[in-house]
Amino acid sequence: MPYSGTMDVDAFAPNVNQINGYKTEAWTLKGAQILNVYYEVKNEPFASLMPVTFHPVIPSYAMLNVTHYPESPVGPFTIADVRVGCRAGVRPRGFTLKSYVSTEAAARELANRWGYPASVADVYLRAFHDRVIGRVKAGDRTILEVEMLDREFIGGNDIQYVSSMHLCRNREDGKLVVVQLDPEWTFIKAERGRPRLGAFEGQAWNGGDKLVPTWPISASYAIADMTLSTIRYVSDPKQDAFKGTTQLAA
Amino acid sequence: MKFGIFYEISVPRPWDGEAEKRVFDNCLEQVALADELGFDTVWAVEHHFLEEYSHCSAPEIFLTACAMRTKKMRVGHGIVVCVPEFNHPIKIAERTATLDIISGGRLEVGTGRSATWNELGGFRANPDETKKTWDEFVRCLPKMWTQERFSYQGRSWSMPERAIIPKPYQKPHPPMWVAVTSPGTEIDAAERGLESLGLTFGSVREQEEKIKNYRRIIANCEPVGEFVNDKVSTVNFLFCHEDSERGNKIGRRMLGTFNYLAAQLLAAREAYPTKSYPSLGLLPTLRKEASGPGDQAGVPEGIAIGDPERVLRACKRWEAVGVDRINFLLNALETVPQAEVLNSLRTFAKHVMPHFQDSSTQAAAAGGGR
Repeated sequence: MPYSGTMDVDAFAPNVNQINGYKTEAWTLKGAQILNVYYEVKNEPFASLMPVTFHPVIPSYAMLNVTHYPESPVGPFTIADVRVGCRAGVRPRGFTLKSYVSTEAAARELANRWGYPASVADVYLRAFHDRVIGRVKAGDRTILEVEMLDREFIGGNDIQYVSSMHLCRNREDGKLVVVQLDPEWTFIKAERGRPRLGAFEGQAWNGGDKLVPTWPISASYAIADMTLSTIRYVSDPKQDAFKGTTQLAA
Repeated sequence: MKFGIFYEISVPRPWDGEAEKRVFDNCLEQVALADELGFDTVWAVEHHFLEEYSHCSAPEIFLTACAMRTKKMRVGHGIVVCVPEFNHPIKIAERTATLDIISGGRLEVGTGRSATWNELGGFRANPDETKKTWDEFVRCLPKMWTQERFSYQGRSWSMPERAIIPKPYQKPHPPMWVAVTSPGTEIDAAERGLESLGLTFGSVREQEEKIKNYRRIIANCEPVGEFVNDKVSTVNFLFCHEDSERGNKIGRRMLGTFNYLAAQLLAAREAYPTKSYPSLGLLPTLRKEASGPGDQAGVPEGIAIGDPERVLRACKRWEAVGVDRINFLLNALETVPQAEVLNSLRTFAKHVMPHFQDSSTQAAAAGGGR
């Protein structure tokens, strides 16, 4: 006690992107299609997948997300990311280990403006009458394939998204920093269903052999208008969030 | 106003061969002292898989030990999980009746449905179903306790006619409570004529609204049991020390430790999209009141931590908004040494409890059904 992250952030640093300071404008992204699949993951090395800033959730779980944005300032794009469930202090959060985006322009802007750990890959999201499929291909390898089966309508209020946080390097001072993204959603439609994991390569998501999905939890699919807000909080990746968090905006 | 003590039984790592035994022994020693000092009830949760946070997965056994060590204190399930994957309803009726008999009619039966994915996922229970099975269980339990033979054809469970034995010692049956964590559950309690066992640490103002709502609705309830008990309890922390600075310091450490532990659990709503769990359980309140270990923030409003004067003020505030009983958590992860916990109980009994003696007597006289 306390049970905290044990990631060596300096060793992880080559995986992160650079952010152009913390002053960016919000993006309004209308009609986003969001597939979220949650899996419990192997517990034992879980703490090593997040900086000391965070406390791992018990039981350990990962959020496997694929989202298509039909409109954005850089045109349509599809993005996939893998997050691990954690707490910043007592706040529920997902720590994003890695993200893949379908266009160069989106990957560049997400990195420059929010420090998002995005690389370019073939990212695919489609809704069929009986399922929703998300897939990421890097070269000839399928590094993620998730499905939501047996689609069932629910209310948008029934879905609880948690804010995400990720590690990046601030170009202005060269320091590693944890940035929080806390988008706002207005739901147009929401569904849930049975999760299925067809393919997952932990190595490709910076989880190495430590990130091992073990048990399905849930799957949801929503269409929502999203506002990717300005950066409100940054944290020191070498300190507990209680001590090392700075508020930049209300 | 009555005062109870409330156990999650949190056990810090490392879990060597003695860790759990040491914590259980400490709890039982506290219970024996609390009985002597005039505390009214000992409550024990039912939790599973909540490592460090709660090792109280067999509360009926812990409460049996409590009953054997005490003379007057009532023993309370706070709560029995009314979900078939966790507990078959016949077993609940049998176990509770047995405990009521061997405690000499001192049992209180709290009911609830679990709020974490740790537990619901562990037992492979469907989160959509838990409110419905809880409702079915609380309607069946009084009948299983009071009817010589019982049969049932229901939604989540059924049984042919059998004699469910033994029967409770209290007649017509033990008082029944409902754990109130999610918003609106106080309404479920009131509609069924059940007592409200508050398990969150919301502000006095928030709880005042809930209590008003509860009282208004229970006045016209359709009771599931043989009697209506219009009672509201809340849970709180207790660390009472004559030295204010020491009281605040040790109490805040306990509070912060509890907040850390509770926050690490995975709320059902966070993991599984469902209407059945409209809130994140303890998390939103903890967020408001969070103060981690070492934090210099003051003691949150209404929390019974500090010197006797401050603790008295906190308890009087709860009394003023209509709370009938405060149940105290005495420790978290053994951050408070056992000698300090026992001293805190004695200090509370000596300096705070006497200010409530009159209302306690009145409450007992108006208890009904006991």
